[in-house]
Amino acid sequence: MTSAGSRTRVPRYEPSGTFIEWQSVPFPSFLAQFAPVAPESPNAEGIRDSWLFVSIFVFAIFVLVEGLLVAFIVKYRRQNRPRFEDGAQAHGATKLELAWTASPVVVLFLIAAFVFIELPGVKDIPEAAAGEEQLEIKVTGRQYYWQYEYPNGVIAIDQMRAPAGVPVSLEVTAPDADVIHSWWIPALGGKIDAIPGVTNETWFQAKNEGTYSGQCAELCGLEHARMLASVEVLSSDEFDAWLDERRAEQDAGSGELGQEEWEGVCAKCHGPSGEGGIAPRIAGSPTLTDRDALASIVRSGRGTMPAVGSGWTDEQIAVLLDYLTENPPSGS
Amino acid sequence: MVARAETPPAWQNGKFAGWLVTTDHKRIGILYIATSLVFFVLAGLMALVMRLQLAQANADIIGADRYNELVTIHGTTMIFLVGVPILAGFANFLVPLMIGTSDMAFPRLNALSYWFFVFGGTMLMLSFFADGGAADTGWTAYPPLSIQAPGSGQDLWILSLHLLTVSTVAGAVNFIVTITNMRTRGMSWTRMPLFVWSILIYGWLIMAVMPVLAAALTILLLDRGVSIGPWDVQTSFFNPADGGSSVLYQHAFWFFGHPEVYIIVLPAFGIISEVLPVFARKPIFGYKAIVASTVAIGFFSMLVWAHHMFTVGLPISLQAFFMIASMVIAVPTGVKVFNWLATLWRGNLSFDTPMLYSLGFLSLFVIGGLTGIYLAAFPIDWQVHDTYFVVAHFHYTLIGGVVFAIFAGLFYWWPKMFGRMLNEKLGKWQFWLLFIGFNVAFMPQHFAGLEGMPRRIYTYADESWEGYNLASTIGSYVMGIAIILFAVNVMRTRRSGERVGNDPWQADTLEWYTTSPPPLHNFDDVPYVTSARPLYDLRRRLRVERGEREPA
Repeated sequence: MTSAGSRTRVPRYEPSGTFIEWQSVPFPSFLAQFAPVAPESPNAEGIRDSWLFVSIFVFAIFVLVEGLLVAFIVKYRRQNRPRFEDGAQAHGATKLELAWTASPVVVLFLIAAFVFIELPGVKDIPEAAAGEEQLEIKVTGRQYYWQYEYPNGVIAIDQMRAPAGVPVSLEVTAPDADVIHSWWIPALGGKIDAIPGVTNETWFQAKNEGTYSGQCAELCGLEHARMLASVEVLSSDEFDAWLDERRAEQDAGSGELGQEEWEGVCAKCHGPSGEGGIAPRIAGSPTLTDRDALASIVRSGRGTMPAVGSGWTDEQIAVLLDYLTENPPSGS
Repeated sequence: MVARAETPPAWQNGKFAGWLVTTDHKRIGILYIATSLVFFVLAGLMALVMRLQLAQANADIIGADRYNELVTIHGTTMIFLVGVPILAGFANFLVPLMIGTSDMAFPRLNALSYWFFVFGGTMLMLSFFADGGAADTGWTAYPPLSIQAPGSGQDLWILSLHLLTVSTVAGAVNFIVTITNMRTRGMSWTRMPLFVWSILIYGWLIMAVMPVLAAALTILLLDRGVSIGPWDVQTSFFNPADGGSSVLYQHAFWFFGHPEVYIIVLPAFGIISEVLPVFARKPIFGYKAIVASTVAIGFFSMLVWAHHMFTVGLPISLQAFFMIASMVIAVPTGVKVFNWLATLWRGNLSFDTPMLYSLGFLSLFVIGGLTGIYLAAFPIDWQVHDTYFVVAHFHYTLIGGVVFAIFAGLFYWWPKMFGRMLNEKLGKWQFWLLFIGFNVAFMPQHFAGLEGMPRRIYTYADESWEGYNLASTIGSYVMGIAIILFAVNVMRTRRSGERVGNDPWQADTLEWYTTSPPPLHNFDDVPYVTSARPLYDLRRRLRVERGEREPA
C-alpha cells in the first residue's frame, strides 16, 4: 500500500498488542465458532480476544456444573432404595461454601483485569503517523438511513467508503427530532448509539479491502430492519480518487448520491420503484420532478411522513431531483 | 391474626360468584396463576407468529407494523402479565400456608391487587384494537420513539403498566406485612421456608423500584401530551427536540428493569429451593448461605442497571463500575447453584415431574448465567448488545430459569391446590418436549446474534442467518406442543386425576400439614415450628414415638 495525496497516509497495519497471541493458541473449533465474527479492525480484535478469554472460564464452569449435575443424577438416583428413605442429612459445610464463594471472585477478577488490559486497544483510536491527519467521518442515524459526511463535504448514504489501514474516527449522532439508532459493523468493532442531541465517538482501522456490512441495532421504528449499513474498504488511492470524484459530482448536482438518496431514504418506505410500501405509491407524482415541492416534502415531511431530509443541503436536493428526472420510478 | 368475616350473603356462595368476590388467599392465588397462564398462552402465540415470520429471510407473513406490535406486547406480557403475577399467585397461595397462618394480612387489598392485574392485562390485550394498533416501540419503550409513536397504543400501554404497578406494589406491601408479622409460633427468620424468603425480598425490591418505573412512565405520558381539563400539557423531559434527555429515561427504566428480572427470578429460585430437597430427601444445603445470597442479589440488583446501556456512550469509569457490580452479582448466584448441586449430593433422588423440571432449571439457568458474564464485560457488550445473543441469554434465564421453575411448582403444588395429582406420564412428555424444543429454539440464537443479527427486526436479508432462524422456529413450535400437553393434562386431571393424600411427596414445610385442598381457614392447629423443616421434625417424632411403643 502506498500513500497518495496529502489528506491521508497508510500506516502499516499492526495487530493490537495483547499479552497472549490468540491466533497461536489452539482453540477447539466449537469454541472459535462461539465468538464474534472474524475481526477486521484492531478494536474488533480486542473485543474478540476478551471474548475468548472469558470463554475459557465460561466453558470450564459449564463443564464443571453440568458434569456434576449429571454425575449426581446418575450416582444418587434412588434405584432400589425406598421412595422416602432419607439421603445424607448434611445441612452445609462452611469451608466448602466459602470455597465456592471465593473462587468465582478470583475468576471474575481475572476477567475484569483482562478486560481492562484490552480496553485501551478497543476504545482508543490509534495515533496517526506524525504529520498526518486521521480521517474523520460524521455518521448521522436517521429514520431509516445512515448519512455520512466526509471532511471535504462529500455526503454518502448507507454505504460508507473508507481507506484500508487508516484510522477512521466516527462522530455518531442523530438529529434532534429523530430517534435513537445504533451504529454497528460487527467486523469493524462494537456498536455505539446514535442519540438525538448527543455525539458519540467510535473508530475503526480496517485491515483489508472488502465490504463489511451491519445494520442499525436499536429499534427505531417500522423500517428498522431495513436500516442497513456497509463499509466498503478501498485502497488509499482508490479512496482518494472516489472522494474527489464525489466532490466533483456533488458540485455538478448529479451522480451517485442521488441514487443513494432514492434507495436509502425514499425507497425503503415507498418501494424500490415507488410502487408503495408502508408509505403510499409515489411513482408518477409530479412532486418528484418539482424542485420546490420535492425540497419541501423532503425537508419538512407531511402527515405521518417524517422530515427525512431536514437539514439537507441544496446540493442534496439537487442530486435527488437530477436522479429522479433521469430515472423516473416505474411504479412496478 | 385476621378477624374472620361475618357470614357472607347467600349469592356470594355461588360457584362463579364465589370466585368473583373472594378474598381468600388460596382462591386469589389460583386466580392469579390461571389468569397468568392465559396471558402466557396469548404471549406464546404472539411468539409463534413472530417465529413464523422469521423462519425465512425476506418473508412477508406479517408486516413491520404488526411485527413491532407483537414484539412489544409479547415482551410486556411475559414480564408484567406472566412472570410477576404467576409468582405472585404462587406466593398468594403458599405464603400464608407456609408460615402457618389463615390468610394474608390484608385480604381485600389482595383481591384489589388481583383485579387491577386483570384490568391492566385486559387493557393491554385490547390495545391491539386501538387507533393505530398496540404499542410498537418494544417493552422498553425508549423515547423519542415512544414519544413520537402515533395513535393511542402507546398511551394504553402506559396506562396498563400504571395499573399493573399499583397492583404489584399493593401485593408487595401485603406480602411484606404478612411475612413479617404473621408467622406461626416458633418460626423465626431462620426457620422460614426459602420460598417465603424469596417472596420477602421480591416484596422489598418491588417497593424500591416499581415507583421509579411509575414515575418514568408518567413523565413519558406527559411528554406524549395529555389533556387535563382545559389544559393541554406537553412536557419534554425525555424529548431531545425540546432540550430533554432520552438517556435519562433509560436510566430510570433500567433502574426498575434490571431488578425486575430478579423480582421474577428470585421466587423461581425459591421454588427450586423447596422442590430439590424434597426429591433428594435431604435438607437444603447451606440454608443461611441461600438466604444471604437472596438478600445480596436483591441489593446488588439495584446497582447494575446501566449494563443495559453500555452502548449509549457513558463515561468509561461508569461503565467499569457497572461491569464490576454486574460481576459481583454473579457471586451470590453461583453460591445458589453450588448449594443446589450440593443438595443433590448423597441424596435419594426420585425423578418425578417437579424434580425433572428443577433439574432442567439447573442445567439451563447455568447457561443463561454464564452468557451473562460476556454481557457484563462492557467492551464485549459493545459487540453483542441488542443482538439475538442477548435474546438467547435472557430466554435462557426467563424460560430455562423461570418457566421451568414455574412448571416445577405447578406439578409440585397441584395436589395441594386441588387434591389431585397432575398426570406424571403426560408431565414427563411435556418436560422432554419443552426441554428439547427450548434448546433447539434458543441455542442457535446465540450464533445468529454473534454473526450480526440484531433483535427486534421483522425480517432479514442475510440468508446465512436462515438456518439458525429455521431451527429456532421449529423449536418454538415443539415448545408449543409441550404447552398443549399441559393444557390436556390439566383438563384430564380435573376430571379423573388421581386423588392423593394431604402430603403425597412427604414434604417438609407447613402447607403439607393441612388437607388438600386446604379449608378456608387453612389450619385447625399448627405444630410449634422447631426448624426450617417442621414436618420432617414431626415425622421423626412420630417414628420415635412408634419405636418406643414397639418393644412393648
